[in-house]
Amino acid sequence: MRRMPLWQQIAYQLVFALVALFVLLPLWGLAQMAFDASIKGWPIDFRFLPKEFTLAVFRQAWEQPAQSRSFLGLLQNSFIASGGAMVLSVALGTSMAFAFARFRFPGRRPGLFALLFGTLLPPVALMTPLFVLLSALGVRTTLFGLVIVYTAFAMPFCVWNMRAAFQAVPKELEDAAFIDGADLFTAFWRVTLPLALPAIAVAALVAFLAGYSEFAMAWLFIDSSDNVTLAMAISGMIGATGASWNLLAALSILMAAPVALVFIVLQRYLLSRLLIGEVRD
Amino acid sequence: MMDETKYARLNGYKDMCGISDPNLPQVLKPAGGSVKRALRIFIVTMVVLLALFLRLRAVERLPIDYDEDDYLRAAQQFATAIQSGNWGAFTQLNYRPEHPPLSKIINGFAIAPLPPAPEIPDLPTTAPPASSLPEPHLTIARLVEATQGVLQVLILALVNPLAALFLAINTWHIKYTSQVMLEALPSLTSLVAVAAYVKSNGKWNRWLLLSAVALGLTAASKYMYCIVAIAIVAHWVLAKPPAGSETCGRFLAPLLLWGVIALGVFFAADPYLWLDPINRLRDSVVYHIGYAESQHVRDAGYPMWQPLAWLAGSVPWHPGVFLISVDVLVSLLAIAGFRRLWQKQNVYALWLIFGLGFLLLWPTKWPQYILMLSVPGALAAADGFQAIAWEPLRDWFARVRANGLHFRRERISWRETRRALPWLVPGLVTLALITLFPLVFQTAMALTDLNTISLRDGLSGGVWRAAWLGVTGQEPPVHIGIGPNGRVSVTVEVRDRGQVHLVSVADNPQSAKEVHYAGLEWFTRIFSGIGADILVFDVMWTILSVASQMGLGLVLALMLNRRGVRFGGLWQTIFILPWAIPEFVGVLVWLHVFEPTNGWLALALHTRIPWRDDPLLALIVLLISALWLGWPFMMLAATAGLKMIPAEVYDAAAVDGAGRLDQFRFVTLPLMLPLLTPALIIRSIFAFNQFYLFYVFAPPWPLFTFSTLSFLLLNSNTRMGGQYAFSAVVNVFTVIVLIVLLLWFNRRTQAVEGVTYA
Repeated sequence: MRRMPLWQQIAYQLVFALVALFVLLPLWGLAQMAFDASIKGWPIDFRFLPKEFTLAVFRQAWEQPAQSRSFLGLLQNSFIASGGAMVLSVALGTSMAFAFARFRFPGRRPGLFALLFGTLLPPVALMTPLFVLLSALGVRTTLFGLVIVYTAFAMPFCVWNMRAAFQAVPKELEDAAFIDGADLFTAFWRVTLPLALPAIAVAALVAFLAGYSEFAMAWLFIDSSDNVTLAMAISGMIGATGASWNLLAALSILMAAPVALVFIVLQRYLLSRLLIGEVRD
Repeated sequence: MMDETKYARLNGYKDMCGISDPNLPQVLKPAGGSVKRALRIFIVTMVVLLALFLRLRAVERLPIDYDEDDYLRAAQQFATAIQSGNWGAFTQLNYRPEHPPLSKIINGFAIAPLPPAPEIPDLPTTAPPASSLPEPHLTIARLVEATQGVLQVLILALVNPLAALFLAINTWHIKYTSQVMLEALPSLTSLVAVAAYVKSNGKWNRWLLLSAVALGLTAASKYMYCIVAIAIVAHWVLAKPPAGSETCGRFLAPLLLWGVIALGVFFAADPYLWLDPINRLRDSVVYHIGYAESQHVRDAGYPMWQPLAWLAGSVPWHPGVFLISVDVLVSLLAIAGFRRLWQKQNVYALWLIFGLGFLLLWPTKWPQYILMLSVPGALAAADGFQAIAWEPLRDWFARVRANGLHFRRERISWRETRRALPWLVPGLVTLALITLFPLVFQTAMALTDLNTISLRDGLSGGVWRAAWLGVTGQEPPVHIGIGPNGRVSVTVEVRDRGQVHLVSVADNPQSAKEVHYAGLEWFTRIFSGIGADILVFDVMWTILSVASQMGLGLVLALMLNRRGVRFGGLWQTIFILPWAIPEFVGVLVWLHVFEPTNGWLALALHTRIPWRDDPLLALIVLLISALWLGWPFMMLAATAGLKMIPAEVYDAAAVDGAGRLDQFRFVTLPLMLPLLTPALIIRSIFAFNQFYLFYVFAPPWPLFTFSTLSFLLLNSNTRMGGQYAFSAVVNVFTVIVLIVLLLWFNRRTQAVEGVTYA
């Protein structure tokens, strides 16, 4: 193996350090505020470290962050809306993805294209008719309405991604199950599904996150403070008068940290699942 | 057999005609050419007649515009001098002296035979358009301008009839060659200067003389159009690099002569310069530099890329004047055809490059300036039409004639279909309900004028009713007007005792509560208004943000994966942080940094960062934030690509003596590109639809993506909100763009098969 000359090694490390600064500095800028008791409203002078170090902001964020709901109450709404969307998209998507992966039927190719198209559709693109439709159905302002909206956004991706996973499972395994006397459903349930489970988990994670960090559509649909989700609460504070930036920062950390942890721990795995469809049709 | 000179002439003509296709020159062969020749004459005549018709219509219907009073006043002064035989006055007269007088003199001759009208008062250039101007002087002057515009179409039709068609229907060209502006003459003479130069083949002959004369006349009517001189000189230098000193002289001589003659003609045609050339020339040039910095220009608040926005749309101000407004399509064709134009006729391509570069850099952004580009733009569009519409169609037709119609079919098994059904139905029903039906409904909405006031009617079936009545022809469409910043007016035609009135729907409470059919009004209006601004920004945004993310991601991936680099894993874990946190929180992080008054940066520098008032600064701020959000993903994608390249390839390259740069160019990049392409495509579509960044940052107009625009139009809490139909129109447009992009990518590469979540 070639060794790098020392000066080159140093130059490389310097570049990395600079880029790391570009990555970390803005994050620190937001994070340090969460530990500063002195901030009321907007920060008024430049600080690199908190002026009055405190953990009280986090306690406030936990107990009564905004919209007269507790953090857990907001989180609960988030989980109902995005968890509901996740369950719906995965449950309905799995069977559809299996059909696309295993059977030839008329309209399969255009269907695949339509799914891909649906995957890339911006959330806003469905919003106008969904707004009008859910208003007509009378469920627009409920969490169930949000579940429907988020399902519409997440489901095409789930189907597309899981199809790839199912296709990667060798058909021979199913054939072996058939010889042992299994019917199609048993073969799917006992053989294919367990093998594709990791990919399904990734699809579920993505479906969940799509709703978890969404707020703009939600603000259009929801108008009662009982149904506000965590992301909505945070975004609502940005423009609000009297909202304090340290509280905003603390809430953002509480919201983002678990997600970031999952991504970092699973990075290699997530990437291989998400980056490459793996299976050519 | 053809002798050599004839052959050369034919080639020259071929170049002139913009023909690169080997199948086409038969037109020029003497045998059997007479029919095609007649056809050609017929086509040219039709194009010219169309140009004439559109311009006459504009002469009659266009309202009086800024500056028309000034230039007509200048013409009046010349007319008075002509009538009294006071030719000496020509050396003293030049109202609005910042522009040379030739156009004004021609108008003066045109209105001289008319009975004199009271002289138009002298108002500052910033004054609003005059309410009325003397007739028939105005119409006559406009007709003279329009004649020059039509003449220009005729000359271009001799070069390339298709390009002439595009020029004939160019709404900007129609408008500014049908009003008393100074554009028609220099636009015409600059075309002559270039076309004659092309015919001269770079040798001293009468064509080059004509080119020089035309250039001089151009300079004597409006300086800006002299950009063609730069293009010609650049073409000359690029085409014939001098070898020795002797050839160098021979090479430069015609060019110098050309320049001297042009200067002479300029001086001769600009009598205002005769008495005091140096000072008057300096004053008129200096004026423009001062004007570009003036408050008047600054108040217009156009971003640097505004000329692109003019080019992406049609004239937005005069509904009903232009029968055809497809300028956005022509511009897209021009982009597609630029490469071809460059390859075969690069003096026109150079004209386009220099012109566009000048317009982007020059601080004054008035819309009439883009007339400078209308000729090379039309030529590029003609090439684009050949490349993406005509030739594929012709090839396809030839294939069908040879092989018959064939569709690639998948083998379908009905047994499998029956087995698949139970698996498919639940998902299909759900998707049909929550995505397909909304898309259909959205399309119907886009054909109506649904808004907050008519929402109740729309919800109880009004959308379907209006769309059905309209599509079946039972109800005429209402008229839609889109003002600046998205204000919409809906008007209906009402017949009253044989007269047709336009009545605003909002004035009639009963009518306002109903949904009306709007047909394709939205789609034709959107690109003569805010649609063009946003399209230009959105495309520019996509290219710049994805390119910067790709660049940083690729470089860092290469550095991290170099053999022998220490701590690579640790750095990578730090670098992926922006990818790991939700986009919305990342956007918040950057809002905290860049907030104009209370942001981290503003506080650290003790100054305001006024990007909410400055489009260019706002673009930079947004790009930095988007780079931070997006580059880690690109780095990960590039790393995954690098891992797929076996080390032996590099060893082989090293044995062959490839340097590091060669290795990257010929080994790394080609091998990882297949893996990077899907990531690039997905990121591009993501950037085109980017929303949260724009929503949270709220940058100034027109820094929006279509997604953001659609949201703002829907959200009834914003100033322009509650316009459901408009919002749906924007969405339908986005969906169309998306489908076209996907089909295109699908044809180019199978890469779309791999889908990325980002």
